[in-house]
Amino acid sequence: MKKLMAILMLALVWNAAAFAAGTQYQMRVDGLACPYCAYGIEKKLKKIKGVDKIDVDLNKGLVTVNVAEGVELTEPQMVKLFKDAGFTYRSMTRRPL
Amino acid sequence: MKKSYRLKVAPALLLFGAAGWTSDALSAPITFNTALPVAKDEFLAREQYVVNQSGDDPSGADKDRTARAAVSVLGYGVNGKLAVFGVLPYRDNELKVTVGGQRRTRAASGFGDLTVFGRYTVVQRDRPGRNFRVASFAGIKAPTGEDNKRDAFGRLPASVQVGSGSWDPLVGVVATYQTLKYQVDGQISYQAKNEANGFEAGDVARLDASLQYRLLPRKFTGGLPNFLYGVIEANLIHQGKDRVNGSADSNSGGTRLFLTPGIQYVTKRWIAEGAVQIPVSQDLNGTALKNDTIVRVSARFNF
Repeated sequence: MKKLMAILMLALVWNAAAFAAGTQYQMRVDGLACPYCAYGIEKKLKKIKGVDKIDVDLNKGLVTVNVAEGVELTEPQMVKLFKDAGFTYRSMTRRPL
Repeated sequence: MKKSYRLKVAPALLLFGAAGWTSDALSAPITFNTALPVAKDEFLAREQYVVNQSGDDPSGADKDRTARAAVSVLGYGVNGKLAVFGVLPYRDNELKVTVGGQRRTRAASGFGDLTVFGRYTVVQRDRPGRNFRVASFAGIKAPTGEDNKRDAFGRLPASVQVGSGSWDPLVGVVATYQTLKYQVDGQISYQAKNEANGFEAGDVARLDASLQYRLLPRKFTGGLPNFLYGVIEANLIHQGKDRVNGSADSNSGGTRLFLTPGIQYVTKRWIAEGAVQIPVSQDLNGTALKNDTIVRVSARFNF
């Protein structure tokens, strides 16, 4: 029983460490005004290896992306991605998860 | 007599066709196009079912025409500004007419003419939660549908054929102003009609406008919720006179104004919508057949 508890605790710690290792990017995007249009952006972001989670907030014009450790999103990459999707990239902030 | 009713009901078919060719697959008006983008290398699809009922025949032949169509639209984003579209209808046309005291029904069904067109964004102004775009488009309707179908009475009239037999180019400009609360679209377009089988339909000029107003959620605080829009559209359509063997038909063409209330449910992956085009004014030449109503139900998909 003690062994099982120890393994579970270890697994929890390992999961938390893995989650914390990534980065959260928050991008300000202009022109987003309906849910249907946001899907093209989500599809493009999902094609990037290491992207875990995408949240779009239409009201604030924010696209939040969580990426795995070692994955970096660059400004030129995002400018092109949003341009290809038909929208305008403005700025980006990043913080560790 | 055959020639006469062919000429008089042809405009209804042509206006019906014209109403369908620019409808694409974005959060957009129901009866015409939008300037909103298709993402690069992405596809959009739309299936629209249209029932166009025409009657109120002033000629005394008691003509009654029902045109049903399942219209498939596929859009592809070449880049953030340029998109190409293909529109293929499957048509089921039926014309009832009284000839010599006898009621005749003439009908045809099959794939109609394929329309392909490109749309390029010439103005793009993006701001937080809103955007303004102007796009020009140009394309052509190819004579892929059968245009020489026959029944027991002979060759079917042009208004019953599923294809026109002619190559018909089209051009236009569409503008869109979209916010989180509402969207306004306007379009002006022109389609030239060419001769085939001795028949040349009148050219079509259109002026369209649409307002989509978000009804739900009433308060929008964030995230990516589904939207329910109330829609009101107006379609002003002018068609020139048809020409048969080079002579203008005085019982064809004219100007119609439709008001189109509708509803639209928009999610991230799909849109469901419906609208009824109600003719509020029909200033038609001679005994050209009038539209009763046009009903449109459609779904659009991101994939």
